[in-house]
Amino acid sequence: MGSLRSFIKDVRAAKTLAEERSIVTKESARIRTKLKDDHLPQEKRRKNIHKLLYLHILGEKTHFAQVECINLIASEDFRDKRLGYLAAMILLDENQEILTLLTNMLNNDLNHPNRYVVSLALSTLGSLMSPELARDLYSDVENILAHSKDDFLVKKALQCAAKLIQKDTSLVEVFFPYINSRLVSNQQSSHGVLLGVAKLCQAAITAKEKYEYDNYPEILQSMVQSIPEFFALLQDMNFTSFNPEYDVGGTCDPFLQVELLYTIRLLFELAPQETESYKDKLNDLLTKIATNSDGAKNSAHAVLYECVRTIFALQLDQSLKVLGVNVLAKFLSGKDNNTKYVALNTLLHVVPQEPQAVQKHRKFISKCLFDPDISIKTRAVELTFAILNDSNIKELIEELTAFLKLTSEDDKDLATYVVEHMIGLFEQYKLGDEKWALEATVNILMIVGEHISLERLSDILIMINNARDLDHKIQVIRRILDVSFAKSGESVSSANLGWKLVSAWCIGEYGDTLLESNIYLDTELTGYLRTLDGLYSDDCKIIGYVLTAALKLSSRLQNPSCIEELRQVIKGHNKDTNLMIQTKSVQYGILFNLPAKEKHDILGAMPLFEKKPKSGAAPAARPKFGTKPQEPDLLLELLDDDYPKKSTTSNAAGSLLDIFGSAPQSSAKPENGKGNDTAGLTQNLMTIPKDAPEAFRSTDLDVHMKLKSLNDYEAHVEMFIHANASINSLQVLAAVSKSKKLTLGSLSASTLAPRENCRQEMIITGGGKPKLRIKLTFNTGSPSITKTEQFDYKFDQ
Amino acid sequence: MTQIKYMLLVSRQGKVRLMRWYSAYDSKGKSKISRELATMVLARKAKMCNILEYQDHKVVYKRYASLYFICGISSDSDNELLTLEVIHRYVEAMDSYFNNVCELDIIFNFTKAYEILNEVLVCDGSMTETSKQAILRSVMTMDSLETSDSLDQVLS
Repeated sequence: MGSLRSFIKDVRAAKTLAEERSIVTKESARIRTKLKDDHLPQEKRRKNIHKLLYLHILGEKTHFAQVECINLIASEDFRDKRLGYLAAMILLDENQEILTLLTNMLNNDLNHPNRYVVSLALSTLGSLMSPELARDLYSDVENILAHSKDDFLVKKALQCAAKLIQKDTSLVEVFFPYINSRLVSNQQSSHGVLLGVAKLCQAAITAKEKYEYDNYPEILQSMVQSIPEFFALLQDMNFTSFNPEYDVGGTCDPFLQVELLYTIRLLFELAPQETESYKDKLNDLLTKIATNSDGAKNSAHAVLYECVRTIFALQLDQSLKVLGVNVLAKFLSGKDNNTKYVALNTLLHVVPQEPQAVQKHRKFISKCLFDPDISIKTRAVELTFAILNDSNIKELIEELTAFLKLTSEDDKDLATYVVEHMIGLFEQYKLGDEKWALEATVNILMIVGEHISLERLSDILIMINNARDLDHKIQVIRRILDVSFAKSGESVSSANLGWKLVSAWCIGEYGDTLLESNIYLDTELTGYLRTLDGLYSDDCKIIGYVLTAALKLSSRLQNPSCIEELRQVIKGHNKDTNLMIQTKSVQYGILFNLPAKEKHDILGAMPLFEKKPKSGAAPAARPKFGTKPQEPDLLLELLDDDYPKKSTTSNAAGSLLDIFGSAPQSSAKPENGKGNDTAGLTQNLMTIPKDAPEAFRSTDLDVHMKLKSLNDYEAHVEMFIHANASINSLQVLAAVSKSKKLTLGSLSASTLAPRENCRQEMIITGGGKPKLRIKLTFNTGSPSITKTEQFDYKFDQ
Repeated sequence: MTQIKYMLLVSRQGKVRLMRWYSAYDSKGKSKISRELATMVLARKAKMCNILEYQDHKVVYKRYASLYFICGISSDSDNELLTLEVIHRYVEAMDSYFNNVCELDIIFNFTKAYEILNEVLVCDGSMTETSKQAILRSVMTMDSLETSDSLDQVLS
């Protein structure tokens, strides 16, 4: 068996992948056999582990070597121990039972006279911590923190203590005193120790949620007392000392600075009242750091960036926020792409807080739209949407259109995202300038029609349909058709299906107007539909629209040969393999042969189309790029009268509905009926009746159900929600089996303080014992997170 | 806060030269991450930014000569710019240790590369030492302990 070096050389010299594999598997098998030999000299054992570490890098399985790592650690030779611990850190992980074998050895080595052995044991414990190891070995780590004067060990012991707390929160009590004691005794000394202190402090803060004893306020108080020390350290690093050992490109230890800033931020977030008295000082310090460090190096930017994050996370003073936005703007205008990226990313979170200040730097944001880097482009697009408002919508839409023009095939997803949102915007912002909106839409359609979803295309059609200025509408349609008929200088790619679809629709809908004004010949219109029919015969979306257009156009034409051609188009699909198209073709065939008068009535022009806004689609709820649109909840689908149906125009069959002008979305609004009588009650006075049994219990809220009345056809149910924590934006969704119908009353309160109650009434029609599925969504905690609870409940009586 | 999930060293040919995992991933997850990231990172052009969004977290990478240093970090608490400095500090430490480090040094002395990394990052990927001298001092003292240990054995 050769040396490690020759093994690596052999692997590298392999000419093919197969050859490499055969070398690797052979060696792996050889080591496996060797490991069984109990009398192997230590040197050979080390060589085996070395090779195994190399195999691990190559992505090979190495689980069979775990015991051997432990054998090496047990040796007294430093070479064995060092390699053994290294291999343990890399080849083992927290979940393996083999860790119990390590306990004794770690226990010995943590008390070893050689500091390097202790350090290895600490690092290994830190990497492989399991709850059992934490329980068995925490006292050894504490021992080091209590007695050692060696910074090299203390820094590692502090990190290890932080990890111990993560595994077992009750250990906060054991370790928190060392935050202060090590901070005071180590001033001006090793930054490694200070990093450890910061880490321990962070761990103690994040452990609060799970900490079970009631002395946390004391612990918190003690940590708050260390804030002046943290301030002093930051002050010192920024303005007084220069220490070449810790200098990074002109910034003093950015690692420690960021770590301290983050710790301060966590402390202020956790204890806003206790830290209130330090707030002014923090403001001062952050202002100084942010104005003082004007280095162009990444290290300086890292610190500045952390300052800005602190400012916005803690919602500090207005002047600081403006300063923060300015710092980010400076990042944007710089050359470095990484700072640009983090600036855009942060601005995205800042917009809701400081819309005005961000607006000021719009120019830089727009410039980033044209950055060659997709990450930056994506962020810039998101940010552009975030800062959009009534006053700048025109300019921003023009910029986005310019952006779309330059997109390549690689950015297809991003282009789709942009288009989807832009078209949504035209509806969201009631633009005074309808003409402009229509033209802008046509421009977008021309550039990226192939990326527009069918649902959005139908929005475009609605927009054209609803345009009030008739002359302008015809102008726009002329522009569309001129391009389609290759009569103008502009052209669209043959992949632009969106464009073809809109053209077909326009021909069907406005064929008569176009013919009356002698713009086009009837043969041209018919010919175009026929071409589409021939070219895209297997694309059911287009064909669906072509069929409708053919039918509609036929009632607007006089020329018998054209009408016959259109009839052929429709007839051609009555054996289509696509059932939807086939049905459509057959039905249209029947309509086609109706007497002209009836036909004309049915196929008349579309009325104004009212699109019902989707509930809950507030502008703020704009999904991030890359997140998939939420799948419609099954529960919500059951609740069919409470949730606006997806526009049926999204499938090809929907165009039939278009013709008849019925608005598919005008389903009835939920009746609030009887729920209203609860509105007069104030939530504080509300008590839960004793006869309402508990239906559900969680840490945040309890739910009680009461059946108020039940007769043959209707059940009246009251649901009481008791908050255990403070809750806001509470929403109740309920579903019943399909044979029944549910009327949901209004919720008496959507914001609850702890121990407050609220009531929700429901009426279930359909008879029988009601069975319900309830889903509650709400925000709770600070920082607030959205939670969802769901449960089923059945009334037994 | 630095809380690096993993550090991968990948060559320009997409070969992994070193990998260290600070969060628990199963072996499937590990090989998926290293395979996917190698492709993603190698495909990026030099001028592009060094931050990627990947799975549920962010990835910061930097290229030094023929090697890419790739770090997974948590999305909200980690400072992306600082992660670049962490990588740089590690590279500097290796550079001093190997005296102008190159890819081959790391290939043949990967245990040393691991040991240097262990003095920079510990536990769940948090930084424990920022001074390059301190890092080198402890690694080199341990090296000398190894040789003196073997000397002892010869003498006894």
